[in-house]
Amino acid sequence: MGRITLEKLTKSYGSVEILHGIDLDIQDGEFVVFVGPSGCGKSTLLRQIAGLDKPTSGELKINGKLVNDVPAADRGLAMVFQSYALYPHMSVRQNLAFGLENARMPKAEIDSRIAEAARMLEIGDYLDRRPGQLSGGQRQRVAIGRAIVRNPTAFLLDEPLSNLDAELRISMRAELSALHQRLKTTMIYVTHDQIEAMTLANRIVVLRKGNIEQVGTPLELYNRPANRFVAGFIGAPSMNFLPGSILAVNLVDTVVTVLGEETLAVPRPAETAEAGEKITVGVRPQHIRLAGPGEDCIGAKVTLVEALGAETVVHARVSTGELLLAVLAGQHALSAGEDIRLTFDAKDLHLFGGDGLRIAGT
Amino acid sequence: MSANIKRHRTGLGGIAFAVIRPVMSLIDIPLRALQRATGQGGMASFFILPNMAVFTIFVLIPFAINFVYSMTGGIEIFLNQRDFVGAEHYRDIFTCGSYLDPASCRRDGFWTAAQNTTLFVILQVTLLIIVSLITALILNRQIIGRSFWRAMFFFPVLLSPVVVGLIWRWILQRDGLLNFVLLEAFGAEQFNWLTDRTAAFAATIGVSIWAHMGFYTLILLAGLQAIPKDLYEAAEMDGTSKSRVFRRITLPLLMPNLIVVLVLALIKAVQVFDEVYVLTGGGPGTSTMYLVQYIYEKGFASELRNPGLAAAASIIMGAVLVVLTLMQMAASRRNEKKGER
Repeated sequence: MGRITLEKLTKSYGSVEILHGIDLDIQDGEFVVFVGPSGCGKSTLLRQIAGLDKPTSGELKINGKLVNDVPAADRGLAMVFQSYALYPHMSVRQNLAFGLENARMPKAEIDSRIAEAARMLEIGDYLDRRPGQLSGGQRQRVAIGRAIVRNPTAFLLDEPLSNLDAELRISMRAELSALHQRLKTTMIYVTHDQIEAMTLANRIVVLRKGNIEQVGTPLELYNRPANRFVAGFIGAPSMNFLPGSILAVNLVDTVVTVLGEETLAVPRPAETAEAGEKITVGVRPQHIRLAGPGEDCIGAKVTLVEALGAETVVHARVSTGELLLAVLAGQHALSAGEDIRLTFDAKDLHLFGGDGLRIAGT
Repeated sequence: MSANIKRHRTGLGGIAFAVIRPVMSLIDIPLRALQRATGQGGMASFFILPNMAVFTIFVLIPFAINFVYSMTGGIEIFLNQRDFVGAEHYRDIFTCGSYLDPASCRRDGFWTAAQNTTLFVILQVTLLIIVSLITALILNRQIIGRSFWRAMFFFPVLLSPVVVGLIWRWILQRDGLLNFVLLEAFGAEQFNWLTDRTAAFAATIGVSIWAHMGFYTLILLAGLQAIPKDLYEAAEMDGTSKSRVFRRITLPLLMPNLIVVLVLALIKAVQVFDEVYVLTGGGPGTSTMYLVQYIYEKGFASELRNPGLAAAASIIMGAVLVVLTLMQMAASRRNEKKGER
């Protein structure tokens, strides 16, 4: 069992409040990713759960038991640190055994747990080496191994892949995902990399300035971001935001005009918006395409073309000065300075009100 | 680069730049010619030449002269007036019934001083490391006025050893501050801190620790601060007790610094002289007479001057220091290798 519940959790350092009343319920066996920009409070939140810091107010429960005052070691959690935090003067075996020896576990049991973790993570060949003799990826496995041998209620992972090179990060990501499926233990993972969040998480918690902006599955966040921040943060490249206004709200759709040039009927009726209201229209770069003959479109001038082979990233400036990013499938013979006509489908638009929140119903 | 040049060309920097540049250009020409003639290795030798010259004049040559002195006898100063006696002084020093019993040695003063120095080194270095380590551990915590305390503990290091000796003599002498305080506070009788053999010996150790611990505390504090905080947090997550964290994490990771402190403190303790000389003058009797004072008195101060014997004693002490220095170098090399792993 590894259910973790946070209720109105706050954390202040002096007069500065870092976390502002976090409410979150993490189910047993879930892989939850805390994601957000630097300074959003995600690591601070993880440290409260770990017991390395004490919340200023609110309740933190593990399997229904209040643990605000329970020391880190007694919470049954294991943490993997960004720096790996392996003891440099001990061998891999000693690193794995250290926590178990603290618990005065019999040697035979320690050896068996180490053997099992070593088999699982394929680190058996270097159990007698020191961390300094291992590569970054091997150290990462040892750090995960140290968490696994404790057989914890939940794993807490604080940006564990950020010190690895891009290629290794991708392979370790897949291994972590496989490990979670095998262990079926709750995992809470902190990252600022939204691709890691999207690929690993059952649910993503998007944080900004100590508040939760949205909690949901990766596709929920991608398809129906709750506000402009989440819309801009999730998805790469970032969503385009264009000024628009509502022309009409009907029973089955919402008619909007984008940049005053293109009029589209979004096939979802806005519940809280009225005709004439100024809004922000969001459209993902992947949903923009070159307009066909006779199609409603937005005129733009190409400023930069990035040909990636399978797709072409086009940076273009529209007549009102906004920069638009389009990811076009395949290869396109475009060049900077060229005039192009871009369009998108109404169903792919995201509508945000003046307060930045998604307009209900759309 | 261009930004730097621009900055140099304005204000006072600009004036300095205008003056220095032509001078540098003038030096540049012969240096380039020298480098062409000698190659890069030759240039390196050329640059360390002044330092080597100073080292030769003030260290190597005096060391050689000292060695020659140790082979001569008499009280004359000039070498050409002294008789060559070979290894007689060394033989004298090492002629002993038992090295543990100075009275059985022909040069009992040397062995008394050597015995005192050995005991002083063992006690002073051990206590110094313990006190410095405890102080560093405390100063590494979030205590109120941490910077102030760090400065306070380092302050005695800045004092001249003679000043240290004088301060503590004023405190410890019969009519000194300590006896005054004890009398005022407890009505205690005056105690002869500097004329009681054990108290005087303890005083030299205590004063020496007080004077030097700031330096070693600083080295250990730097070592403590270099231990990543994550390791302690990992240990906390692992449920490690504080004593086990200290034994299994702090101490092993602080070992490189501790070795440096140990060897430096050992060398410094063997060389103890000035503060003790001012504090006790080696007394009472010879109870705080250490090797350097013995050498000093034999060479320059006592009525029965024997510069040859003093030179031989200093060569022996030098050999001990060389061994300690080699230990330090070996320890540093081992740590470097460990760091590479």
